Amino acid sequence: MFKWRKQGKLFDPRDYKDLTWLDEYAQAPATLLFDDFVRVYFSCRPKRDANGQFVSYSAYVDLDRKDLSCIVALAKEPILSLGKKGCFDEFGTYPVSILRMKDEIWAYYAGWTRCVSVPFNVGIGLAKSTDDGKTFKRLGDGPILPYSSDEPFTISGPKIRHFNDTYYLFYVAGNAWLEIEGRAEISHRIRMATSKDGIIWTKHNQDLIPNAWDEHESQASPDVFYANGTYHMFFCGWVPKNFRDTKNRKIGYASSKDLIHWTRDDTKAGIDISDQEDDFDNEMVAYPHVFALDGKTYMLYLGNSVGRYGFGLAELEGELA
Amino acid sequence: MRWKKQGQLFDFTTSPFTRRYVSHAQSPQALILADRVRIYFSTRTNDAPGKFLSHVQYVDYDLELKAIIGYSDHEVIALGKLGCFDEHGIFPLSPTPVKDKVYAYTNGISRRVSVAVETGIGFAVSSDDGKTFEKRGQGPLVSATTYEPFLVGDAFVRFFAGRFHMFYLFGKKWSEETVEHTSERVYKIGHAISDDGITWQKSGLAIISDKIDENECQALPTVLQIGARYHMYFCYRHMAGFRNEKGKGYRLGYAYSDDLVHWTRDDENAGIDLSDDGWDSEMMCYPNIFTCRDSVYLLYNGNDFGRNGFGIAKLISE
Repeated sequence: MFKWRKQGKLFDPRDYKDLTWLDEYAQAPATLLFDDFVRVYFSCRPKRDANGQFVSYSAYVDLDRKDLSCIVALAKEPILSLGKKGCFDEFGTYPVSILRMKDEIWAYYAGWTRCVSVPFNVGIGLAKSTDDGKTFKRLGDGPILPYSSDEPFTISGPKIRHFNDTYYLFYVAGNAWLEIEGRAEISHRIRMATSKDGIIWTKHNQDLIPNAWDEHESQASPDVFYANGTYHMFFCGWVPKNFRDTKNRKIGYASSKDLIHWTRDDTKAGIDISDQEDDFDNEMVAYPHVFALDGKTYMLYLGNSVGRYGFGLAELEGELA
Repeated sequence: MRWKKQGQLFDFTTSPFTRRYVSHAQSPQALILADRVRIYFSTRTNDAPGKFLSHVQYVDYDLELKAIIGYSDHEVIALGKLGCFDEHGIFPLSPTPVKDKVYAYTNGISRRVSVAVETGIGFAVSSDDGKTFEKRGQGPLVSATTYEPFLVGDAFVRFFAGRFHMFYLFGKKWSEETVEHTSERVYKIGHAISDDGITWQKSGLAIISDKIDENECQALPTVLQIGARYHMYFCYRHMAGFRNEKGKGYRLGYAYSDDLVHWTRDDENAGIDLSDDGWDSEMMCYPNIFTCRDSVYLLYNGNDFGRNGFGIAKLISE
């Protein structure tokens, strides 16, 4: 089992009072390293609208590279506007995953629209930045990874990686809307696509991670990190019939030598909820993101209520092997 | 081109379909079988006040297109499951025979909150001469992509010049609501090619020039090869006011091409237009061209988007 030493909560959106686009939630952290700071992208929400519904934006907070507990800057505005009328991302851009591409920075993001028979549908879009990741512009108004015959809806949660001259996009794809106590709840599983240029993608069209919790479990946040000859995936998941019970989210783990065949072993994940009454993560740990910095390996993760009150940091003892 | 109208062919209101459906026989699409012409269309049920679902049914005609010799009385293709792209309707279904199967490209409809609907192109295969179709996957075969952000649909597929060619519709914009008009869509006709009819490469271009203005809506392409030339009919209308304002509704457009890529719009030579009075005097839409026993026919809907049925015309000369 890996051993993660928790460093506590790093960022709490409630600390910022005057931003209309940032009220609560700091979800799905993703890092981009600079010489002096670590930029952590996250997704946040303004207050609910008149109909009681949320939209979500993505933004970033910069942490001192020498002391990650020290915030040195916060985005002045969301990095990306919401999509145009009728587009796949009209009501939300969440989450984002970031990659340097020569002089540009590319953001793969999930765009959210609202449906009638089910609450939402999701597709994956691409936007590019030429100002060090402060602001992004869409490649086009539609999704770069859309719904398809074998992935009929909710293509979400992108994580972009570059291994062995190939781009890998790990994401989740819906396989069923379940009708549970009068609500439609989504079941989605971790999937993958590959590309030579980051734009034209070939879907693998297979579930990567077998179920372990429930036949209809939902998997999310497939965060892949390469270390010591092995690809390590930390992810999270829940059981849709317990979805409204926030305590039912956990972090899972799988490993692979070739990025296609994965061996799941959640007992190795090595991070769980806190047993302290006042901790921000005493009900939930979710949406992991692993990154290396100056010889150490860290994990950012969400605490209670899926990051409503921010995200925290843990440091790995030793290495992933 | 010169067409001779033969009048309304199929009248929904006097058909057996009135027992199961409330109205409409839209977007007729012909499949030529050994002993009959099977014409698919979309008809409606109501699932809530003011809301409807489009379902595919068919009527069979003899090879002279004179007499009805059969009707579907079963589910030809199922609507999609909860949350799927074709949950709220299939309109139209476009068949094309491939070896001993019939491929169908469907336009699936699902409802949205900020706009009326989203669509995608589904794919299904029949092994029983088109009586029933089995979908390949729950999702769309061709759907919105980076530069075609919504409303991909209305596929018409034929095998021409050694490859499969798809002519289809894609959305350009949803207008903002005004006092006078709800949010209206603008869509154009695109082209994609494939070696197997399943994996498609979009050209990314609107292939038919506008006649009205940049907000002209173009839909339902159908293409026929005569000699070395390809002839396309489609329908077009104004973005707004098309439901009930005179002169803004659907009419038939025409274009020709010698390479399937570059098209010359030539409505003046369409050879068919609104009648002075009668069932197709205000609107003509959803054309489908086919050849049967050496005659070329054009199916289409008339007034009110085909509420009461569809009609037919016969090609007299090129």
